[in-house]
Amino acid sequence: MARGGKQQKKKVEEVDFGVITAEARKQVWSGAVPIQLHLHPSEITGSQAPSPFLMLAPRNGYLPLLEPEIQQHFAKAIPSNADSIWFDYQGLPLKWHIPTGVLYDLLVAEFERPWNLTLHFRAYPVEVLTVCEDDAVKWNFVNALKEASYVMYGNIKSVMNISQLDQVELWRCVVKGELEGYDRIAARLRPGFGGGGNWVREILLTPTCDDASSGGALLRAGSESGRPSRVPIRVYLRTVDRDLDDLFDAAPVSSWDEVVYTTRPIDLRGGSILTVRDALLKMVPHLFTRPESLDELSVKPRESSPTSKLETEGPTDDSVSQAISDASPKTADEEPSTSPIEPVAGLGSAAGEPDDLVLEGIVRVQGIELNLDLPLEWVARNLCGPENFIHLIVISRRVTLQLPSKAME
Amino acid sequence: MSTSAESPSVTGPRKVVVLFRATGDAPIMKQSKFKIGGTEKFAKVIDFLRKQLHRETLFVYINSAFSPTPDENIWDLFENFGIDGKLIVNYACSMAWG
Repeated sequence: MARGGKQQKKKVEEVDFGVITAEARKQVWSGAVPIQLHLHPSEITGSQAPSPFLMLAPRNGYLPLLEPEIQQHFAKAIPSNADSIWFDYQGLPLKWHIPTGVLYDLLVAEFERPWNLTLHFRAYPVEVLTVCEDDAVKWNFVNALKEASYVMYGNIKSVMNISQLDQVELWRCVVKGELEGYDRIAARLRPGFGGGGNWVREILLTPTCDDASSGGALLRAGSESGRPSRVPIRVYLRTVDRDLDDLFDAAPVSSWDEVVYTTRPIDLRGGSILTVRDALLKMVPHLFTRPESLDELSVKPRESSPTSKLETEGPTDDSVSQAISDASPKTADEEPSTSPIEPVAGLGSAAGEPDDLVLEGIVRVQGIELNLDLPLEWVARNLCGPENFIHLIVISRRVTLQLPSKAME
Repeated sequence: MSTSAESPSVTGPRKVVVLFRATGDAPIMKQSKFKIGGTEKFAKVIDFLRKQLHRETLFVYINSAFSPTPDENIWDLFENFGIDGKLIVNYACSMAWG
């Protein structure tokens, strides 16, 4: 991990993290998905179908919050016996408690703009979606906030302690996407963990952090009083057909059973600067492979880069899996002379090896493809949702191949 | 290597012991401990309680603290919030902890 630490330090010297941090949070909060709503044909009552409705849906918002604007546009089409409003994307009813940006990043492999959704005022699919009435969306938000707080601080005191008035204001800011107002109240919800500031720089550029000990500096800072020791991560894992050459050609999700939904608190304490990769290694270890067996394919998993479009076809996936299962158990030639009893040391020693592992797939957060070497804490502070969860979307081609590590035992 | 050898959280037929606790004026159940498959969603617990208590509206919490989304995996909840080998689920007929 010392290697990662050095790289990080170099980056820190080049850029002003304070500026980037503020900018990242602004971008996250102003992020929106352009959606185009079409009323479901069976719900058209008049002789003419209402025109589709184009609008911007905030990424950090929830679909039912768009209802007032939608109702205005479709006023004439709304039946008197209307149910709660709901949406589907290519037949899949959209879960309203998942932030809109997460739904988009998860369900739309090749970004589609505008995002064409079907709108319903009737036949609410109770078997797929939980009922959304009254204050359900707000209630869901507050509970997610409490769950996050429970993970980060071991209790929900900070959430319970905000006044009713502040809770109303906090929710208003979330609905309206007002970052400044939100931050004023949210600062109390995540003490020692604000979004702004130069915390990375302060930690990494302090004189004590010469090369090898830079990780230790972050560790010490991480255990400062009041700062959270863990962060909540929610992974939405979508596995696509193994024979698919291009992940972006994935068939639409037809059922929610195709999405694996995992939540884990990830401990920030440890012997090194944790990266997003480290977190994913804990949460979805089965998606990682050794690059040795994927050498010729190293461009393949990163198909988002424009150059990779020019590459001619690589070997098929069958040969990939073949290569993996054939991989020689002793590929790590740089194995240090340490004893194999490493699990005792935990994170610190484990971190060196998984560094070499490659995740086969795309990882998205807040609409961007994530660099897995980013410090997890930076992501937690700046790219989390207003409920303080980090929502990571993983679109992966692999199903359940044998773990390479199994072969190494 | 130890990290990559960990199995994904959703495999295996592991069962979780759920301990139900009534809050406020909610009726107390005769039997309060149940086993449930780890791969089930929290929605299953809510449904189960609704049927047991014959109530449509129920508020269901973990550790008297928060109400998870119905999509959350029971095993995840147990692993993240379980206490002494049990997942403690509080239920109330009116909103107990907001």
